[in-house]
Amino acid sequence: MFLNPWSLALSLCSLVALVLGAVAGRTAVRVLRFWEPGSDSNRQIRLENEIWLSSTLVAYGLGFQIITLILFVLAADQFCQVIVGAMCATGALLANPYGMPALLVKLVGIFFYGFWILIHQLDIRSEHYPLVRIKYLALLLLLPLLVLDASLQTLYIAGIKPDIITSCCAVVFGESAGDATGNLITGLSQQGLLAAFLVSLAGLVLAGFSLLKRWRPWLAGLYAVGWLWFFGLSLVVITSVISSYVYAMPYHKCPFCMLKPEYYYFGFALYGALIPAAFFGASAALAGLVRGKAGLRGVVDRYQQLAIKISLVLLLIFSGLSCYHYLKYLISGGEG
Amino acid sequence: MAQRNLEKQLNILDYALSSLWRRRLKSLSLLLVFAAVIFLLASFQMVTQALTDKARQVLVYTPEITLQKMSVGRQEAIPLAYREQLAGIFGIRRVVPRIWGYYFDEVRLANYTVMGMELGEMPEGARLDTTLSGGAMPGTDERGRVVIGQSIKKALALEGRTTFSLFRPDLSLTSFEVSGEFSPDTDIMTNDLIVMGLAEARDLFAIPAGLVTDLCVYVANPTEIETIAKKISATLPSVRVLTRPQIQKTYQVVFGWRSGFGSICLLTALAAFVILAWDKASGLSPEERREIAILKVLGWETSDILAVRFWESVLVSGLACLAGMTAAYIHVVYFAAALFRPVLMGWSVLRPELHLAPRIEVGNILLILAFTVLPYLAATVIPAWRSATVPADSALGG
Repeated sequence: MFLNPWSLALSLCSLVALVLGAVAGRTAVRVLRFWEPGSDSNRQIRLENEIWLSSTLVAYGLGFQIITLILFVLAADQFCQVIVGAMCATGALLANPYGMPALLVKLVGIFFYGFWILIHQLDIRSEHYPLVRIKYLALLLLLPLLVLDASLQTLYIAGIKPDIITSCCAVVFGESAGDATGNLITGLSQQGLLAAFLVSLAGLVLAGFSLLKRWRPWLAGLYAVGWLWFFGLSLVVITSVISSYVYAMPYHKCPFCMLKPEYYYFGFALYGALIPAAFFGASAALAGLVRGKAGLRGVVDRYQQLAIKISLVLLLIFSGLSCYHYLKYLISGGEG
Repeated sequence: MAQRNLEKQLNILDYALSSLWRRRLKSLSLLLVFAAVIFLLASFQMVTQALTDKARQVLVYTPEITLQKMSVGRQEAIPLAYREQLAGIFGIRRVVPRIWGYYFDEVRLANYTVMGMELGEMPEGARLDTTLSGGAMPGTDERGRVVIGQSIKKALALEGRTTFSLFRPDLSLTSFEVSGEFSPDTDIMTNDLIVMGLAEARDLFAIPAGLVTDLCVYVANPTEIETIAKKISATLPSVRVLTRPQIQKTYQVVFGWRSGFGSICLLTALAAFVILAWDKASGLSPEERREIAILKVLGWETSDILAVRFWESVLVSGLACLAGMTAAYIHVVYFAAALFRPVLMGWSVLRPELHLAPRIEVGNILLILAFTVLPYLAATVIPAWRSATVPADSALGG
């Protein structure tokens, strides 16, 4: 179903991102081949100029990918109106086997582009550009991800036929266990999930504060891993516990519907806090990996402190947002 | 550190604004063209959305299942006797026969939609009483009484009179008395509508007894619609079975398809604009080269100049978006999308007046941004980099 404004916009964005990626990739190959920090040849000066271009392009690419991620979910929400049986984005994304992988690749992609920009920002803070080779090797590794993203998305759009029967979110994420259609997150008890969520949250806060007091590399590593775990766990908890409080319906469990205007775009605030928080939490340890390079010590230390602080603040916002509907339900008995 | 960074970006934004102002003719021409492109795309998007909403609104009143008899690939009158064959299917609340067609008024050169139904037989909730602005629906034993829509009232120039006449196919006259009129709120479907009893409609169109144009099947449980439709088509194979969700999806696909097709056509305009933007951004005048060289001598870095260019692009596209989308909204709401209506509706000349009210949603704005602003930003980034890396010495020396 390409003849639809949403599919066209998505394809256009992917195409633009691919072109930008290709141009940046060209620079990457040249830098890897000809980079000589000590030289003052014409080629070296040109390359030093091109570094600016490629980093700007990746920054644009990141921005575009964030927009396409949102656009993709919203487009799926539109597609559901023409797919038999689908009632929201969940059904539309499950309409063929490429929907969910495309969404996952987009989400993972945002983290990787973000990490690349972080490495670049650290690199240009030092006069010696110590990370140039690593950076451009990483850029070349990002390109396949970009291609994968675009291909999955194209396959997904091509595979949407308005006649396919799919499941709505009440079936996919609901509690109707033993159903032949399969359920994505059965077998997880709500209490257990909530307990794990709260324990992880407390653990992250503790680790964060102790890192702010004294920096220990092993704890930073643990903090990063903890954030990745917490990110995955939060997505499950949002789907199976928090979402039904947001919708004020016990059987409506869906991570996408809360992005709609009916729920005051609550999902944007929730995910808008969670995703950057996970990024900053995980990136502090990543920045620590390049701390040993020439001229980066001070820069990395400053960044790490900042990243931990930002991740803690966002964590606070995220936990506040995720408790809001629950507390409202406890205090005022939910929606009138 | 964060505050210093913010201050720096604000200063750069300030510089970008003044730089746009210095080249105001060039910026303004670009802005106008961009706004025009956004206007076209946004109007298309808004009309599609408003029409889809409208269609959904209208379909609320249609019966869950409509049965039409097909013969030689065309629709023809359906025998009332078919109702008995449906009696054995569980879940059907009621089957209401209907005569539904168009009456061409040769005197006033207008088309009226005529709907004849056994009004008393319609199930609660599907009745049309709630849509009346005055009068009442004709009772079951009242003959010759009708309810009319707003533009029929205007076309017949009733002005206080309550009776009017229409021609039968053999040109003899039959007269009607107006017992009520539909409110303007439901204009999209009742504007050109005359509702009467089944017997009057049969008389007006000279349809033989025992035949109607279609049968409306009301279903008690909406989740059973598909199953009941399947059973009906198994029982009556010569009948075309239309379900409400099916009609709704068809509308959606058609509107989506048409708007996608329109967007593809508009993509050419977008491509032309992107080329224009690229060209404008890459053709650096000697003054601009000197300006950048001076900035560099003063200590600006390549990234700062890139930031200036970025802010310039964001300002231009933001203003163009604001102007284009506002114009599109006005076009759709106050001019009923006069430019695009034929493309999206395009089947009847005699349409009621349309009042389209597009919803402004974040999703739609984002869609329009993705269509227009992203390609523009991408098109200007490479020229911006070229201009930012002008070597200071050559530009000043030349």
